[in-house]
Amino acid sequence: MTAKDNSSTDDQTLVRAAQRGDMAAFEELVARHRDRIFARAYSMMHNEEEAVDLSQEAWVKGWQRLAQFQGEASFGTWMTRIVINLCLDQLRKQKRQRTESIEAMDEELGGVERQMPVVTVNPTAGLERSELRQRIDRALGQLSYEHRTVLVLHEFEEMEYKEIAKTMGCSIGTVMSRLFYARRKLAALLADLKKQDLV
Amino acid sequence: MDYKAQLKLQAFLDGELPEAEASEVANSLAGDREAAALLGELRNTRDALAGFETGIRLPESGDFFWSKVQRGIQRLEAAEPEPTRTPFFSRLRRFLVPASALALVFIAGVVLIQPAGLSGRAPAPDIETALAEAGAFTYRDYSAGTTLVWLSYPADNEVAESDQTDTVD
Repeated sequence: MTAKDNSSTDDQTLVRAAQRGDMAAFEELVARHRDRIFARAYSMMHNEEEAVDLSQEAWVKGWQRLAQFQGEASFGTWMTRIVINLCLDQLRKQKRQRTESIEAMDEELGGVERQMPVVTVNPTAGLERSELRQRIDRALGQLSYEHRTVLVLHEFEEMEYKEIAKTMGCSIGTVMSRLFYARRKLAALLADLKKQDLV
Repeated sequence: MDYKAQLKLQAFLDGELPEAEASEVANSLAGDREAAALLGELRNTRDALAGFETGIRLPESGDFFWSKVQRGIQRLEAAEPEPTRTPFFSRLRRFLVPASALALVFIAGVVLIQPAGLSGRAPAPDIETALAEAGAFTYRDYSAGTTLVWLSYPADNEVAESDQTDTVD
């Protein structure tokens, strides 16, 4: 079976072939899902180089654990969970190496977001898709990893509060608090970017 | 609006509230401009994020990325430890332990079954010694239907008695 032959084969069949050791089938799966897996790693890490490395590691792990894939979720979802866990491990390692800022401590206590004025005008209205993406990218980069991760897991992975709490090893209350802060901060950052445009 | 109410509003937006509480929040929104404004902001942020990841592409060619993945898999498979050679005694022990257990079970079975008597097997021959007549031995073979009696003459006790009588006399 060549990689070309696999292009019309569905994921399930490719996974079964890969589980039997068919490397060409696995190559096709990588080709189909590599952007999605990289995108998730990038959203979490906000560092292109790290995201490439972690998504590559996720694919190697995926091959290694292929026998465990039972098909309860789609293959893409299964791979996404692998890369999320790798990113979380990496972020935890990085966190241990740096000192928490006072701002981050305030965020944890849920103090800062209460003082932010509500952004009444939609700061992203009328923007082109590429421009919107760039602004969100910049704003996401200014969030701490805890806030960005909660936002990514909720908005992109569509996890419920309970699931996020389990994944991140914190309480549901912390998830709600972090998500609230992340959204409010993001709104404020996007509004600032819009103001800068008007000046 | 307190912090708890703000978080409840967010939970309402995310569909995380029970039905009764959700309708309570929905009803309160009409008369609460602050809450309505905050809900609008949270909704705008959520909508802005939709589709963000769909535009992100791997910044490498597919072939190059695959070659790295493939190398990673090969490295991993090469690093997997080979099954270690088991020393001879260890292998022998692995064989001997169950074999000994089986042998013990077999012996125990034989010992337990034996007193009950195995059907079809003839009873072992008996040898009897009459205590009163220590010089007489009886051999009985049930299978052959034979009984043999040995008598030592003169009997040992008789000799002793006669010797004693002689001595007394």
